[in-house]
Amino acid sequence: MFGIPTHSIAIPATGEHFSCKDHEALLAAMVKLGRRGIPVGCLNGGCGVCKVRVLKGSVVATGPISRAHVSQEEADANITLACRTAPTSDLELEILGKMKKSFLAQCSKP
Amino acid sequence: MGVMRIGHINVKVMDMAAALQHYEKVLGMKTVHTDADGNAYLKCWDEWDKYSLILTETDQAGLNHVAYKVEKETDLDELQQRIEASGTATEMLPEGTMPFTGRLLKFNLPSGHEMRLYATKECVGTDVGSTNPDPWPDDIKGAGVHWLDHCLLMCELNPAAGINKVAESTDFMMNVLDFNMAERVMVGPNGDIPAATWLFRTSTPHDIAFVGGERMGLHHFAFFLNDWSAILKSADVMAKNKVKIDVAPTRHGITRGETIYFFDPSGNRNETFAGLGYMAQPDRPVITWTEDQLWRGIFFHSGEESGSFTTAYT
Ligand code: FES
Ligand SMILES: [Fe+2]
Repeated sequence: MFGIPTHSIAIPATGEHFSCKDHEALLAAMVKLGRRGIPVGCLNGGCGVCKVRVLKGSVVATGPISRAHVSQEEADANITLACRTAPTSDLELEILGKMKKSFLAQCSKP
Repeated sequence: MGVMRIGHINVKVMDMAAALQHYEKVLGMKTVHTDADGNAYLKCWDEWDKYSLILTETDQAGLNHVAYKVEKETDLDELQQRIEASGTATEMLPEGTMPFTGRLLKFNLPSGHEMRLYATKECVGTDVGSTNPDPWPDDIKGAGVHWLDHCLLMCELNPAAGINKVAESTDFMMNVLDFNMAERVMVGPNGDIPAATWLFRTSTPHDIAFVGGERMGLHHFAFFLNDWSAILKSADVMAKNKVKIDVAPTRHGITRGETIYFFDPSGNRNETFAGLGYMAQPDRPVITWTEDQLWRGIFFHSGEESGSFTTAYT
């Protein structure tokens, strides 16, 4: 098959997985497929909810990420934002951006 | 006398070229000035003062400060005394600290957000002028937003730990800066915890809003459009420009505004907001939304949480 290589993205802790094209941002690929696993926010590197650790595989950055949410030390430890990260191989991810429900978000839920 | 309206907002962006493309081409603002540090100053066509948005390029997104315009220079001195008397430290930045702008009274809200007040900014007029004006100019780009309308600041709210910066910031705005309350959300077992408030100095339902979250931050800043059809057109503009829409066109129960939430290229949430809502007056009864109807208040049509409203902000 011609075209762009596709990589398999796995989240071992939850068993979730989806496929992502080479150099396509992880979060955009997941959203496009209607899959879940990584919390979704601004998709533009600013809000930090999509924070992940790359456990296995190689990645490239697709744009700037907010230092308010990923420190240099964290970046050195393979922590990044999934909306600004693209795979160049199959990946395994750990989700760090806990979609911690705020007090308001819990309101009016049964 | 006192605060008139929101005057400008200074937000952090991570890619200036992408930010300028967004605010000029999608929102339809014009860049009127770039200072020696590279900060860009932008203006909407229906505003008469020199600028309402300052973009600062750095390594993160979020708010630097939001500024409100007061009517007279003497208001600044009077309000400085009142703010100091309330136990909040202030600093009077001299004229020229910001271009085209007079003295700025700088302080932090109880929530931690930096706010500034000023009385003087160079008036350049709207793009249609003030003599026999057309209803709109011919060179409108994108959504063609009229003016910076309001901002929503996320404040730390953790009732279990006794922290409610929504309540503290609301009290400050009302008691010290003479803002009035249009609407509020009351939650908790007894319905006595203020979780969100909408406050005004103009005659529209909000010039600033506070919502409780796990940390302080900038939830969104909003630009005014006339009506629903302008909102739908702005959604077309966003789609044409591949802008990430957070919440597709809908109506707020709170303020009655018609709305779209979307993100700028650094993840700051913007809103195009239409309608003047209702006439807000200091003696108008305050509207209360109860916990069980909270999401009806926020997104009137669905009555449910949409997008990443309470989780994602800068
Ligand atoms: S979704 Fe906001 S930083 Fe990735
Ligand atoms: Fe708003």
